[in-house]
Amino acid sequence: MNNNAIIQVENLVKVYPGDTKAVDNITFSVAEGEFFGFLGPNGAGKSTTMKILGTLLRQTSGRAIVDGYDVIREPQKIRRIIGFAMQEVGLDDLATGRNFLVMQGLLYGMSRKEADRRATELLDLVSLSDVSHRKVGAYSGGMRRRIDLAGALVHNPRVLFLDEPTTGLDPQSRLAIWDHLRNLNKQGITMFLTTQMMDEADQLCQRIAIIDRGQIVAEGTPGSLKAEVGGDMVVISVAGENDEERRRQEEKAQALVGERSYVDGAHIIDRGLCVNVKNGGGTVPDLLKLLSDNDIVVTDLSLSSPTLDDVFLKYTGRTIRDDEASGDEYGQAMRQWMGLSRR
Amino acid sequence: MDGVKQKIGMSVFRETYYIYRRNLRVWFVPATFLPPLFMSGLLYVLFASTFTEVTNLGGFSTEDYSAFLVSWIIVQAVVFSGGDAGFALLTDMMSGYFDKLLLAPINRFSILFGSLLVAATRGMLQAVVIIAIALALGVSFQGGILGILTLILFAAVFGLAWSCLSIIIALKTKSVQATQSSFLLFFPFIFITTAFVPEELLSGWFKVAVKVNPVTYVTEAMRAIVIEGWVWSTIITGVWVTVVMVGILMIVTTWLYRRVTA
Repeated sequence: MNNNAIIQVENLVKVYPGDTKAVDNITFSVAEGEFFGFLGPNGAGKSTTMKILGTLLRQTSGRAIVDGYDVIREPQKIRRIIGFAMQEVGLDDLATGRNFLVMQGLLYGMSRKEADRRATELLDLVSLSDVSHRKVGAYSGGMRRRIDLAGALVHNPRVLFLDEPTTGLDPQSRLAIWDHLRNLNKQGITMFLTTQMMDEADQLCQRIAIIDRGQIVAEGTPGSLKAEVGGDMVVISVAGENDEERRRQEEKAQALVGERSYVDGAHIIDRGLCVNVKNGGGTVPDLLKLLSDNDIVVTDLSLSSPTLDDVFLKYTGRTIRDDEASGDEYGQAMRQWMGLSRR
Repeated sequence: MDGVKQKIGMSVFRETYYIYRRNLRVWFVPATFLPPLFMSGLLYVLFASTFTEVTNLGGFSTEDYSAFLVSWIIVQAVVFSGGDAGFALLTDMMSGYFDKLLLAPINRFSILFGSLLVAATRGMLQAVVIIAIALALGVSFQGGILGILTLILFAAVFGLAWSCLSIIIALKTKSVQATQSSFLLFFPFIFITTAFVPEELLSGWFKVAVKVNPVTYVTEAMRAIVIEGWVWSTIITGVWVTVVMVGILMIVTTWLYRRVTA
């Protein structure tokens, strides 16, 4: 396996009481310094895998290694080098932001003075210095994620686990969190993120594993995964005095572009001519020149690339939102454990 | 190697202390400890005023019913507030803060001990307030200052036992509602005692039930310190009952806790 891997997972299985197989024999690794993401719907097994790596849950079988330490045998060693920001943030609502961070520092073995200094630094880092004296319970959703992130950073972890760090946030707060995460990764922290948002995985991650029903169905860079789905799509509208004339022009254009080697296919749709190309951006100038040289007037052109939604659809046969209602499997098991739900 | 071990041993105390401090700040706020104290004070004043003349029946070892009652008032206060420990633990578990503590490189038992210490602190505070009310009512403590300190210690340790019980219920039921309402189960333990009259005045099944209830012996030991002074036989019995109860419940609590956090 990869020598500079900081996380190594082999044949990991987690079965919850009641025979719910949350993680079904997955194997993957994350390189040191990488920004890695688990993309999948609710209940896919993302949080469960992360909780096993974070030493919060025991796997049923298989092996999980973080920085050379086995999660079962040496959890304390792992705890010292990882930070964990949670989905349902485990915050202390009755503590002030500063108190929360100081407490985190103390729990990681700092002296009172060190913990104080570190709290000041972190409050500044996540731009919460102004509200540091306010109770966490009064924080907005975005502020809560930021204080949680700061709490996970208190001991300068080498690996940061982020369980759906921006779920439920407004777009502006989400962008702010993304900025923080990118910066942390630039400083060399290995990032392991779970998300059910395609754009989040696409924007942040260098490498993604798509996980569905406890199994990894695809793995690669966002670009390579999208490339597997197919190339880009260029939709061209052409001018014509009436529908018939326009149709004739479209057919002419179809025949012309079909000659080009970079074109995988072209067909006429309602909006105009739809051309499948390998590299959309690079081919558009040539397409336009070709059409204008042949006296075809282009009135509109749009270019679209495949998204990770298309990737997910290709590998699972479903869109990621289809499964929304099924709920998060850890939460389900927790609620069962709490006796709040009966099967 | 020894140095490392010692360091680990030291850090458990340190961590327990930090978690204790945090729990105090979060769970020991006026809104949670004032109502039970008000209830205890009210019970005390009401019963003491209602039954002033009951000591004329004889066998009370004192003329002052307020003095007779004070130990039981302390006992019911710590028993009833035992449920808080389980409630606090479950709330932290559900909010996810418990996970946050487990993620830290600390001994997981410091989380449990931090919670139990809060229970002991609450027991002491309740005893202090009730004793202050008793002093205001003119009760004279035969055991003296040392007796008063012993009562406070009793309250702390006995409170610990009931907090263990509520943590056991919390870990077993995993339900805040069940844990909160479980204090209703403690009612018989509190009332089937020599709460209001001495044993001599009891009879029938009630007397039998009173004699098998461990709370009776703790109440009597504490009462002896108040109204008679250092009656060693009664006090030592009370100490034994308390120690055995705390011992057993602590072992069960630790065992269950280890299973849940493993």
